[in-house]
Amino acid sequence: MLDFHNEYVTMPDWLMKNENYTPLSDKDSFINKSIFSLLKVLTKIRMQSSYAEERNLVNVNFRVFFTFALIVLLSLSRNPVFVLIVITYLLLVCAFMPTIKMIQILRFSILAALFACIILLPAYLGGNAYSFIMIPSKVFATVMAVSILSSSARWDSIISELKRFYLPNILIFVLDITIKYIVMLGEFSLNMLYALKLRSVGKNRSKYSSLSGVAGTMFLKSREMSEEMYCAMECRGFTGEYHVYKKFNIRLADFFYILINVGIVFSFIIFG
Amino acid sequence: MIELKEVYYSYHGINAIRNISLEIKNGEAVTLLGPNGSGKSTLLKIINGLVFPHRGVYRFQNEDIHQKRLQDDSFSKSFHQKIGFIFQNSDSQLFCSNVFDEIAFGPRQMGMTEDEVDKRVNDCIDLLKIQEIMNRQPYHLSGGEKRKVAIASVLAMNPDVLTLDEPMNGLDPKTGKWLVEFLRCLSRAGKTIVVSTHNLDFARKISNRAILLNGSHSVAADLPTDNLLDNIELLKKVNLLD
Repeated sequence: MLDFHNEYVTMPDWLMKNENYTPLSDKDSFINKSIFSLLKVLTKIRMQSSYAEERNLVNVNFRVFFTFALIVLLSLSRNPVFVLIVITYLLLVCAFMPTIKMIQILRFSILAALFACIILLPAYLGGNAYSFIMIPSKVFATVMAVSILSSSARWDSIISELKRFYLPNILIFVLDITIKYIVMLGEFSLNMLYALKLRSVGKNRSKYSSLSGVAGTMFLKSREMSEEMYCAMECRGFTGEYHVYKKFNIRLADFFYILINVGIVFSFIIFG
Repeated sequence: MIELKEVYYSYHGINAIRNISLEIKNGEAVTLLGPNGSGKSTLLKIINGLVFPHRGVYRFQNEDIHQKRLQDDSFSKSFHQKIGFIFQNSDSQLFCSNVFDEIAFGPRQMGMTEDEVDKRVNDCIDLLKIQEIMNRQPYHLSGGEKRKVAIASVLAMNPDVLTLDEPMNGLDPKTGKWLVEFLRCLSRAGKTIVVSTHNLDFARKISNRAILLNGSHSVAADLPTDNLLDNIELLKKVNLLD
């Protein structure tokens, strides 16, 4: 008998003995795989936000603006020379990035271009070789431009820059909060999977119900978090207007960047 | 039982644990003390085999614990049965549709018959005095009730070691007092208890040994709890006191 909470409570016998347990085998590698995938995504997001913005001396404003302009010009262009100039420029920019980033950007861009090639294969077989070359090249350049931007600037900086493109406040606000909550909910779900892993000490006959439990709790948690955040914002005087405040400094690197991009715009005017 | 030798761990190049060596014997009640960000939670994650040291050795019951060893499914399950972890946020620990199933999750996995499962769950429910919430959904319980269900769900697997991460967070004084007495009771029953906290009063009440981590993520002191907590200068030095 052990004294507990001013009452006499008997500790169950099984709790006083060491457990003599031999685990039963089960196919539950899905938990480890899910943990690994989630960790990979969270690490990617954290690395993205911790990526030194200072590495890139050019102001995010100009990078967002000229990336957007480049995509528009690429889609309007009908001349392979212009597309080639843009691809050369983007490959040069990519060459100055860290090797891991460079590989990621190239892999992603090549995959997108290959996918476009497969889609356009019937056009090539039908005799339209121009589209077969131009469209995948444009896809390659566009995906590369966006990848360079997203891996060289923090997502929250990019989102706040969208304000200058007259995007509605509420849209910017939603994007901003989404990025933040992906990380928070990701960490919460990671802890849930850890808990599931720690307690999966044998054969689970209802794996799907455990996973649906995790998903259900995640849903409730996200709803609770959104309600709490809305209340907190209301308490702080939020009226639906979301303002972005940012200091704007032009540095020497910005002039060079603008110069190069103006050159690209001119090459579009010349080659079309 | 638990042995760490010159253990290092870092998150994205930032040190979380630096050169930690310690040994926890069977039946000990130990608190990990330290200011926020000193590495207490990371140390508990290492002890539970959720993350692995980047350098150094972790041994549990004379077995080396590393990533490759825990890839052995049978060993991993046996290891996780022997060491239970109560998370800081009980919400992330509860995923079943009602309290009974939550507590029965572990025993059912261990291949017990439904009669044995019923006995174990009911014993845990009696022990933690949570009869009235037995059929409720865990997510809609109060903070203290969730903590009790989380403890019951781990206890039902009868682990040799119970690790708790900041268990006093968010508990009202009455539930806090209950937790102190409950942990003392488990300790007397022979369970090894490892608790991370920055609540000095709680540490004094539940443990006979305290390990103090400092801002450099290493061990600043490893002393009997009373001796450590009476060393005000040391506690000030590690920013646990003003």
